[in-house]
Amino acid sequence: MARRVVITGLGIVSALGLDVAENWKALCEGRSGIGPLQGVDGSRVGLKVQNAAQVRGFDPLKHFEGGKDAHLDRFAQFSVVAARDAVRDSGIALTPELREECAIVCGSAVGGQSAIEAGFEDLWVNGRGRVHPLTIPKTMANAGASHIAMDLGLSGPAYTISTACSSANHAMGQAFRIVRDGLAQIAVTGGAEAFFTVGMLKAWEAMRVISPDTCRPFSKDRKGMILGEGGAMLIFEPLEAAKARGARIYAEICGFGMTADAHHLTQPTVEGPARAMSGALREAGLAPEDIGYINAHGTGTPGNDPVESRAIRKVFGAHADKIGVSSTKSMHGHALGAAGALEAVATVLALRNGILPPTANFTERDPECDLDYIPNQSREAQVSAALSNSFAFGGLNAVVAFRATPR
Amino acid sequence: MVDPVAEKVIATLASVKRIPAETITLETNLQEMGIDSLDVFSLLFELENAFKISIPDDDVRSIKTVNDIVEGVKKLLAAAPPDTSVGSASPAN
Repeated sequence: MARRVVITGLGIVSALGLDVAENWKALCEGRSGIGPLQGVDGSRVGLKVQNAAQVRGFDPLKHFEGGKDAHLDRFAQFSVVAARDAVRDSGIALTPELREECAIVCGSAVGGQSAIEAGFEDLWVNGRGRVHPLTIPKTMANAGASHIAMDLGLSGPAYTISTACSSANHAMGQAFRIVRDGLAQIAVTGGAEAFFTVGMLKAWEAMRVISPDTCRPFSKDRKGMILGEGGAMLIFEPLEAAKARGARIYAEICGFGMTADAHHLTQPTVEGPARAMSGALREAGLAPEDIGYINAHGTGTPGNDPVESRAIRKVFGAHADKIGVSSTKSMHGHALGAAGALEAVATVLALRNGILPPTANFTERDPECDLDYIPNQSREAQVSAALSNSFAFGGLNAVVAFRATPR
Repeated sequence: MVDPVAEKVIATLASVKRIPAETITLETNLQEMGIDSLDVFSLLFELENAFKISIPDDDVRSIKTVNDIVEGVKKLLAAAPPDTSVGSASPAN
């Protein structure tokens, strides 16, 4: 029998801070974590990317002892730290039985890029005949899920989903169904990404989608996305189990929709995202009128924002004018495979706390984007249900539906 | 410590495990100090760069103590000129 699934634990590391409280404070204040790119020397190759949403003050040695920090690429470190925090936050007692029944489903678009790039630099730039022996296990996209399993002793179904910018939403959608259908008793799920290497930044630069200053989603003067890094993990468990142990319930995850555009590598369609939103509503048993907030994909590129706005209009019709739509990428940047997880944290906290985070850096309305984007200032509003959108290069769309805590 | 090879091996091991070099002696057993196979691979990689040698897979299996590594490195240094595949890069940092 299908069970209702709720979120009882959160862990997050992002440009907005190293824990849930710091992140939520920044989101409420509309404070952006975007700043000058640090620690990446691209002068030799004329790197143009100047600003990024980087995680600052993260010290791996505070989290990993005995040289274990060197076994994990930065993205996997974020995965483990966020997972530990989420489990702790949930207050759940991990008995031996429960550990075997705990699923791990993580999203990551590019895995351990720092490790592979350092290896290639040794080979082709430094003229060395060998690369570091941990290059493979640090680079693999499933390293985050694997290290969470080893670190927390969780031995149920565990895997990673890699669908570019939709990775974390696909992961959470899968975890939702795994717990709902009883294939596991609990799930640690989310996403992590850390890809600020010269090679990756040059590759993004070549796509001509990076803003030279900041990220202004839905604003007429938007110039593109700002790349981000980070990780967020959430604990999913059945409503009844959470109630039975008196857990704090942040929100319910109640639907998931996924579609492919089957159209173009980088140009989105209206139909694909619209069908994904409709699918999430359908599975959740929600009417369009139930939705009061959408955490948009909202990359801040000229291409995404008008198309996403039209897709929302197509699904919600006149009700679209009553929905608060914001892109928190304006604050935590676009963290690719972690984006959906960072945004899920923002969305469930919005539902729980009755505050909708804004779209920061918004300066001017665009006739092509005709919705309510909660410009610059968060808004007090107790909404009953929300969607969180992720749309990936390659035309893969994943939308998650959340409901405010069941009473 | 007067033996420069032993000194370098211990310093490298200390760096891989992020522990003080003073806690390691030639008699230290790698398994007992919590060195797993991945740590060994990392250690050998650093030593290959530092000494410009190439350590064969067969030699790795018999390593149990710090002294085993030191003796192995010395044997390789005596047997062959520095491994040119390491290139002109400076030793591992």
